[in-house]
Amino acid sequence: MRVKDGVLKYGFVGPALIFLIAFNIFPLFYNIYLSFTDAELSGGATQLIGGRNYGVIFDDTRYSTALRTTGLFVVLAVATELILGFALALALQKPFWGKPVITTILLVPMMLSPAVMGLYWNFILNGHYGVVNQALSVFGLFQPQWLTDPDLKLFSILMIDIWMWTPFMMLIALAGLNAIPNHLYEAAAIDRASRWTIFRRITLPLCSPLLFLAVLLRTTDALKQFDLVMAVTGPNDRATQTLSALLYQVMFRGYKIGLGSSYSIVILLIVIALASIFIRYIASIQAKQGRESA
Amino acid sequence: MKYSRWLVIIPYFFLATLPLCWLLLTSLKTQEAAISSTASLIPTTAENLAPGDLSFSVTLDAYRKLATPHTGKAHAFFHYLLNSVIIGLLSTLTSVVLGTGCAYGFSRFRIAGARDWLFFILSTRFLPPLAVVVPVLMMYRVFNLPNTHLGLILLYTAFNLSLAVWLMKGFIDEIPRAYEEAALVDGYSPLQAFYKIILPHSATGMAVTAVFCLISAWNEYGFALALNNAEAVTVPVYFAGLQGNIQGIPWPQIAAGVLIFVVPIAVFTVLVRNHLLRGVTFGTIKQ
Repeated sequence: MRVKDGVLKYGFVGPALIFLIAFNIFPLFYNIYLSFTDAELSGGATQLIGGRNYGVIFDDTRYSTALRTTGLFVVLAVATELILGFALALALQKPFWGKPVITTILLVPMMLSPAVMGLYWNFILNGHYGVVNQALSVFGLFQPQWLTDPDLKLFSILMIDIWMWTPFMMLIALAGLNAIPNHLYEAAAIDRASRWTIFRRITLPLCSPLLFLAVLLRTTDALKQFDLVMAVTGPNDRATQTLSALLYQVMFRGYKIGLGSSYSIVILLIVIALASIFIRYIASIQAKQGRESA
Repeated sequence: MKYSRWLVIIPYFFLATLPLCWLLLTSLKTQEAAISSTASLIPTTAENLAPGDLSFSVTLDAYRKLATPHTGKAHAFFHYLLNSVIIGLLSTLTSVVLGTGCAYGFSRFRIAGARDWLFFILSTRFLPPLAVVVPVLMMYRVFNLPNTHLGLILLYTAFNLSLAVWLMKGFIDEIPRAYEEAALVDGYSPLQAFYKIILPHSATGMAVTAVFCLISAWNEYGFALALNNAEAVTVPVYFAGLQGNIQGIPWPQIAAGVLIFVVPIAVFTVLVRNHLLRGVTFGTIKQ
């Protein structure tokens, strides 16, 4: 606007930027420093010990198990949520009686607290008095021990995550479906294209940019999975120990924050890589929007 | 084919809402009825029901007991709820104020490296809480901030700023520049133009942003757990702490507490339903 706005503009953007640097950039670098020390949570003298923490990583089977558990969780959770959410979005695409109410109610679980709902799911999935097993017993079906069977624990956490986050995929997929211009469908109808062809040639390709965005966002989020693990099994269960749970166990139960910091570097690198893909993708979408509106 | 959509919607709707309905039913039961091996589904006012009956007698005991501290806990549920309210509201206020100012700056002024700054702001949202919480804890120890409301308020402000800046920038970008230019021609200073033109026009955006900030502060668990063990404990940390005594978990009380805790969020979700898409995609997708 004007030259004298020079000071004013920094008054607007400055406070927020200082805040973000203090709470993000500083901890990030301090974390890297800590990973080369033998620091303990209780305080006391701290020594630089070089890369010894990083050497421990490769011997620690907990670490490789946690990596595998996290990877398995992310792939299964995101894939199931994507498929279910997309199916729901297709079912909700056209207007019908009650659609706004049903859509809004379906969206509620993703806004709730994972820690609190995770605790409550313990009650639903309880082997003796849980409502799920009681329903199964009515039909005379086998009643699994959802929370105590080592083979099922991770699956139970996965189920809660799917309950919470399928609506997220549904929301974004619906936006993608609504953005498809109607004339494409009309043209396809004139050409007597089959439903499958319409889905494969129009619906899916035009929706996929938004679905990709949704998958990226969910993946970075699922990688940090902590709240549900804590609520269902606690941080130190071999069957469900995700990377975040292992970090908590090492740093806040074992007090080894130097070691924990080195463990956190790998998850940080993965998250930063995914975030930068997300950011590039957003930038390209914005550039496209800019061209279209220009 | 007209009705095929219901084949997908009805089963999913039933499964997804069942846990929430069960929450309400459980909160009206006694502990014995809640953990009995035959589930009772139908609330009645009748007493002395035969064991194995499908109905149960409604009681508000669970809600009443929320006012007294649970065994082994220093305070009653409402104490922790108040902590959540204080921390949620104040951190929301500061993130919306700082975020709106920052978004306005990036929306209307020429700032060197604006794109890089904006993407830096967005990237802070992706950091895993447990990977940055230890340095924050060390920093807090220097300033005596662990175990304080202020500590969590500052941390949640920082955590929500990225969302607030990006959402608000989307809303402010939509206000035509001509409005402010007209005001400047009329002799307003740039600061006055911000107060008298931009703020009133972005009121909806600020309300939507506030709802999203409030919800993520309200639901947050990792930071709250790592930074607090006595004071300033929020509801998610309090509930998770009840997990230890697995046999004695007072399920009706927990259900009542969870219900009180999530009802405001469900109401807010309905209020901002038309802006949910913006909220979950940092304002990058508008509809």
